Amino acid sequence: MSAGPTGEIYRIDWLPGTDTLHGTCHCGREHTAQDPIEMWEWMLAHPQGHEPPASGPQGHEPRGGEPRGTEPRGHRS
Amino acid sequence: MPHMTAFARNQWYVAAYSHEVGREELLGRTVLGEPLVFYRTEEDGTPVALADRCVHRRFPLHEKPSRLDGDKLVCGYHGFTYDTTGTCVYVPGQKRVPRTARVASYPVVEQDSLVWVWIGDPALADADTIPRARHLDSPGWVTVRGMEPIDADYGLLVDNLLDLSHETYLHGGYIGTPEVAETPITTEVDEGAGIVRVSRHMDDAACPPFYAKSTGIEGRITRWQDIEYHAPCLYLLHSRIAPVGVLPEADGSDPNGFHTEITYAITPSADGHVYDFWMVSRDWATEDTEVTEFLRGNNHTVVMQDVDALNLLQRTLGTERAGYQELSINIDTGGLAARRILARLVEEGDKPVEKVL
Repeated sequence: MSAGPTGEIYRIDWLPGTDTLHGTCHCGREHTAQDPIEMWEWMLAHPQGHEPPASGPQGHEPRGGEPRGTEPRGHRS
Repeated sequence: MPHMTAFARNQWYVAAYSHEVGREELLGRTVLGEPLVFYRTEEDGTPVALADRCVHRRFPLHEKPSRLDGDKLVCGYHGFTYDTTGTCVYVPGQKRVPRTARVASYPVVEQDSLVWVWIGDPALADADTIPRARHLDSPGWVTVRGMEPIDADYGLLVDNLLDLSHETYLHGGYIGTPEVAETPITTEVDEGAGIVRVSRHMDDAACPPFYAKSTGIEGRITRWQDIEYHAPCLYLLHSRIAPVGVLPEADGSDPNGFHTEITYAITPSADGHVYDFWMVSRDWATEDTEVTEFLRGNNHTVVMQDVDALNLLQRTLGTERAGYQELSINIDTGGLAARRILARLVEEGDKPVEKVL
């Protein structure tokens, strides 16, 4: 409610039939995780960790790392 | 200190429904810890919001025997009289009104049957940034509504509304069915606009009594819940239900779907207290008063289930040691996004404003 839409959209899909979250940053980079806190940490670290790989086929978006850890982590209020 | 979310200043908040602000009664509401009094002007009915404490001895201006004299507000204790800008224009027994005799006035906008008040620097108030809820005041729509004060941190209500999986457990037999908690969600955040969207689309779900009795649908349904949270105050839940497998037409029309707009205004009152404004709007069976009364009663019951749960949760958190642990799982993806957006708005609202000279 502070300004109009910016088009800077973060999206996280919880993949049906799995416990996996699939995130897409506004820059187009993607990532998978099984913990929403880890996912938001990755997402909001942009541009850190969202750089295209130094080598590799051009125009290919990596699918992000393998899910790290299967247990959701606690956090403190 | 129990669970307490900081307040986001320099934002618009719903302080009242339009029908609550009038001339017969002065309305007192506390928003972000600021006591306010509301009334309407005599000629054009414009809502006015002033600080609700007389500058003289702090008498609450909304309390009887305070009263209106035309557009002026007369304190019921010693007669200090204020105009709509909060300037004191009369004090008893003397001609000179001290220059410091004034109360703060607040920017107010009446829109979509809601009275919004700006809490923060009045110079920054921009009515164009208020999110819309046109269905609340549009022809062809019928709305039932209410407001419940909750003795809980407003962040707990945001958590509650952003994660509807609780419907299955807290509201079973009303709006909850097993499919709500079982169905994965999609979360989107529009960072600049401060909007969190959470969608849950159930292809084949039981029809909860709330919808079965109101729509007459028998059997299973396709049920969509699309949340749009305009932080910090306005929460929209676009609900669509239809007999299972019935989807909108290719041209976008949806003659066989039932659309219900569930609106909340989440207005922090004081630390540990929040106003829960709830509204249910429909564009179907609009002439059917039985449906209207059923939805009013059923939704009030649902809201009170939340009120009781959040009152209990706040009391319980108040007994916890500082730094207690909580755990978030996939269902919390949207709620976590909302917490983060609120934290940003709090930070922005606390920054000193650079004024262009």
